[in-house]
Amino acid sequence: MLVLGIETSCDETAVALVADGVHVRANVIGSQVDQHRPYGGVVPEIAARAHLELLLPVLDRALVEGGCTYDDVDAVAVTVGPGLIGALLVGVAGAKALALARDLPLIGVNHLEGHVCATQLELGALDPPMVALIVSGGHTSIVLLDADGAFSTLGQTIDDAAGEAFDKVARFLGLPYPGGPEIDRLARDGNPAAIAFPRAMLHDGTFDFSLSGLKSAVVRELRRRDAAGVQIDLPDVAASFQEAVVDVQVRKTLAAAQAHGVERITVVGGVAANSRLRERMTSACAAAGHRLLIPSVGLCTDNGAMIAAAGWNRLVAGERTGLDVEADPNLALAPLPLRGAGGLPGAGGVGATPP
Amino acid sequence: MLILGIETCTPQTSVCLGTEHGLLASAALGRGNAHGEFLTPAIQFCLEQARVDVAAVSGVAVSLGPGLFTGMRVGIITAQALAHARRLPVVGMASLDLLAFGARHVRRLVCSVLDARRSELFWAFYRASPGGLQRVTEFRVGGAAKLAGEIEALADDVLAVGDGACANRSLLESTGAEVASNALAYPSAHALVELALPRFIREETQRAEDLRPTYIRKADARISWRNRGALLGGKPTGVPDAKQVS
Ligand SMILES: [Zn+2]
Repeated sequence: MLVLGIETSCDETAVALVADGVHVRANVIGSQVDQHRPYGGVVPEIAARAHLELLLPVLDRALVEGGCTYDDVDAVAVTVGPGLIGALLVGVAGAKALALARDLPLIGVNHLEGHVCATQLELGALDPPMVALIVSGGHTSIVLLDADGAFSTLGQTIDDAAGEAFDKVARFLGLPYPGGPEIDRLARDGNPAAIAFPRAMLHDGTFDFSLSGLKSAVVRELRRRDAAGVQIDLPDVAASFQEAVVDVQVRKTLAAAQAHGVERITVVGGVAANSRLRERMTSACAAAGHRLLIPSVGLCTDNGAMIAAAGWNRLVAGERTGLDVEADPNLALAPLPLRGAGGLPGAGGVGATPP
Repeated sequence: MLILGIETCTPQTSVCLGTEHGLLASAALGRGNAHGEFLTPAIQFCLEQARVDVAAVSGVAVSLGPGLFTGMRVGIITAQALAHARRLPVVGMASLDLLAFGARHVRRLVCSVLDARRSELFWAFYRASPGGLQRVTEFRVGGAAKLAGEIEALADDVLAVGDGACANRSLLESTGAEVASNALAYPSAHALVELALPRFIREETQRAEDLRPTYIRKADARISWRNRGALLGGKPTGVPDAKQVS
């Protein structure tokens, strides 16, 4: 079954074609980064305008890359939330029109569920229970997917998302937008232990995060050093800031997995592209005996393939979404149809082929 | 020739299926910002009631605004995706032109006025001509007082139509203009199909990917981390914007 996946929840216009929930035939992303760069962040109205201009060209490229036509497509999956409402609306309306025009089943997908399902594209069928750290410009949360397919949010940021903190600190350091990759690059030449930035809420017993204080601490520290005439080493600042973010994320994710007796851990979202987070998470999981599932960078950031994969899981379980579905900026995670008609690929034994 | 018309630039969502011989089916909803929920089911309803398959549609006409941003985008992407999936030609038309079309039998100057939100209006003036109505001004955006000033400066009798005119009835009537009833408050997909049909027949059509909304106003480029966090499921923070920090 070939599923066309559409993702427009934030600043990437993405369309993918995925066969049987695991084989990526095409995965095209039309980035709007250049349009948001002057503002140092994603501007909702600019994102909505850009999605409208990009969706058809991206759709065309996906069909060409996948070597197929609409005749080969069996279903349409689309992100219905959470995300920016104006951005979501473009993808949802487009997907509904395609479904109507080609008489195809439609399936609405939760963006966060999509991120979790990205693992099945490379690392084998979803096999709950698992704990997921979802980190991006819009999200920072730890989610448990239990053996019955139910999601529960164990913790989340009480202020800024991780990607947002990276962008803000990068901006303060005079680095271009988006800040995540810039800080990652700069930090490679720095000492992560150079400055002891605070690890907010590390020992509070929750799985929640707070990142706004860290950003202020960076600002304070730089001003203090500047006033004291101390040389400021940007790579050290970047590495120390990044270490503080990563440290809390790694420790809380492992603590959550241990608290719930879960062996499998996944890390997804745009910030999962951060090399230090991948490195620290890999060694921490190895030391504690956890199995770590991190998709490759291109499947961690927002993409249509993860939406097609998540959509396929629900389609084979017999789920369908009506043409009257609305975009929902605050959509909550719904249980996966583990015990549905078809079950998950894991339950049915359909494995992913390694790339 | 079977044309599907989509108009979503105002609080009303309107869909119409029509041919050279007239209207085949139509559906409209005036319940505010319901474009997203209503539009595709309404198209499906019209197709079903008219007993035609979507494969029988020969072209898609869509209103490009000016109007409400999210409504415009929902209508345009729906028309684009439909046309793309069925390899159909499209015709884009202006919302204010469709609105004026409702008053085409009037021999006066017609002023089409739509509510632009944020205490502003979109408008344009039209004059009867042998072929129908001729737009005689650019699309304008501004406050009601600016529109009233423009009408007053004209020597002509003016009929004002549209939700923007109805909402400012007493002010516009004080200029000597007549304001039409609510029956002409919104542009309709029926007018759209009627106006677009000759273009499809003459093959003066566009490619779906070339359609662009008529924004007139620039994008609101203010970035609010606070709102953005809340929109993405986080909690409002009370943390100053990055700009203020640096
Ligand atoms: Zn994401």
